[in-house]
Amino acid sequence: MDWFPVWLSLRVALTATALTLLAGVPTALLLARKRFPGRNVLEAMVVLPLVLPPTVLGYYLLVVIGSRGPVGRALAAVGVEFAFTWGAAVLAACVGSIALVIKSAQAGFETVDRQLEQAARTLGRSEWSVFWSVTLPLAWRSVLAGAVLAFCRALGEFGITLMVAGNIPGRTQTLPLAIYDRVQAAQMGEANALALIAVAVVVVLLFGLSRLARLRY
Amino acid sequence: MRRPLLPAVALAWLALGSGPARAAEPPPLTVFAAADLVFAFKEIVPRFEKALGVRVTLVLGSTGQLAQQIEHGGPADVFFAADQAFVDRLVAERVLLGETRALYAQGRIVLATARAIGWKLTELRDLTGPNVRHVAIANPAHAPYGKAAEEALRKAGVWDAVRPKLVYGENIRHTLQFLQTGAAEAGMVALSVANVPEIDWVPIDPRLHAPLNQATAVVRRSPRPELGLAFIQFVNGPEGRPIMKRYGFLLPGEF
Repeated sequence: MDWFPVWLSLRVALTATALTLLAGVPTALLLARKRFPGRNVLEAMVVLPLVLPPTVLGYYLLVVIGSRGPVGRALAAVGVEFAFTWGAAVLAACVGSIALVIKSAQAGFETVDRQLEQAARTLGRSEWSVFWSVTLPLAWRSVLAGAVLAFCRALGEFGITLMVAGNIPGRTQTLPLAIYDRVQAAQMGEANALALIAVAVVVVLLFGLSRLARLRY
Repeated sequence: MRRPLLPAVALAWLALGSGPARAAEPPPLTVFAAADLVFAFKEIVPRFEKALGVRVTLVLGSTGQLAQQIEHGGPADVFFAADQAFVDRLVAERVLLGETRALYAQGRIVLATARAIGWKLTELRDLTGPNVRHVAIANPAHAPYGKAAEEALRKAGVWDAVRPKLVYGENIRHTLQFLQTGAAEAGMVALSVANVPEIDWVPIDPRLHAPLNQATAVVRRSPRPELGLAFIQFVNGPEGRPIMKRYGFLLPGEF
């Protein structure tokens, strides 16, 4: 059996989870803490990827990052091919999963007692230090839960990936695409094996993580 | 609790790096091919690989979907469409190399019955019977065999009766899978994929639909157009033709 889709999917999902945390946590903090014009718009935009059908989303992304799109052309000018690479699969996974990180982390930040943050500030802590020593430790479970959901969503991402990364065996064929391909080819044995691996990976990871962080849902 | 987590994740990421990175080998020739070629190309590709000492990555899909990906920079070296119209459009848009365009086959559609249900349809009119509840065809919007199936149903005067029973496959391979699993009792698929143990089939009169003339061309962005052209010539040459014929395609010069 070809293990490439398994490795590729794990790598894509891990990378995407790291990137969504990097972009999602500050966004969540912004939404939880600040009132600013356009906040409602931003809040709606965040969940939009969950509303739009993935293949539709994928098509729009492709129009932007494809060889004819503005981003695709700019990248090509500096010699970078992005569409139909594993990087595009990471982008697809990020777009599909970032809402889960943001909404979960935002909910966590909103439950943090603001007076504790104020107390830290009166003791002379900087905003940066308040975040790392007060806010994040208190909201950590929600952030981690969001990350776990995002990882699972990224691992299972199908529609956007199909559009922007293609379904190229040995290059961009992730686990869900490989399963889809086997099912279409009526190779049910291999499809079942791959599906079983996907389930096993998630079960093992979630179990390990919950042991590590005593995470509860 | 963050301390053991972050290094573990970073380590896992690095370890996984060795998986997808196959950069050392020369990149394979990437062939985007309509799904009706699945069985024929599974025989032709290994012979081509052996004859020229190159690796080939075969990407199968519906002609419309593959054309759209190539249009947006999909990394194909050569494109085999199930309908020449798609190739001609991409040639006109300067996405494919016009001078490499060649016809390679004419496709046929057949009326297929899932063997599991115990009887066999013999004509399109049978699809209107009460014992056929689902009729699988490829999506006519972007799959050429689906378009031909729709035309045949209309010409046979049964479109309105059959329409509520239709289930659309994404491409012809997907459509075949509906029949192989028995999810659809009957359907219309390409002759080139119809010889599987799970289905019975009878030919459909080719005069009921516009001919499925199939063309191929090399992609302009391909870094190795000569290799793509060599693959086209291989399919249309003495090695490829007998295989294509065996899978029920009419060959250039025969139609």
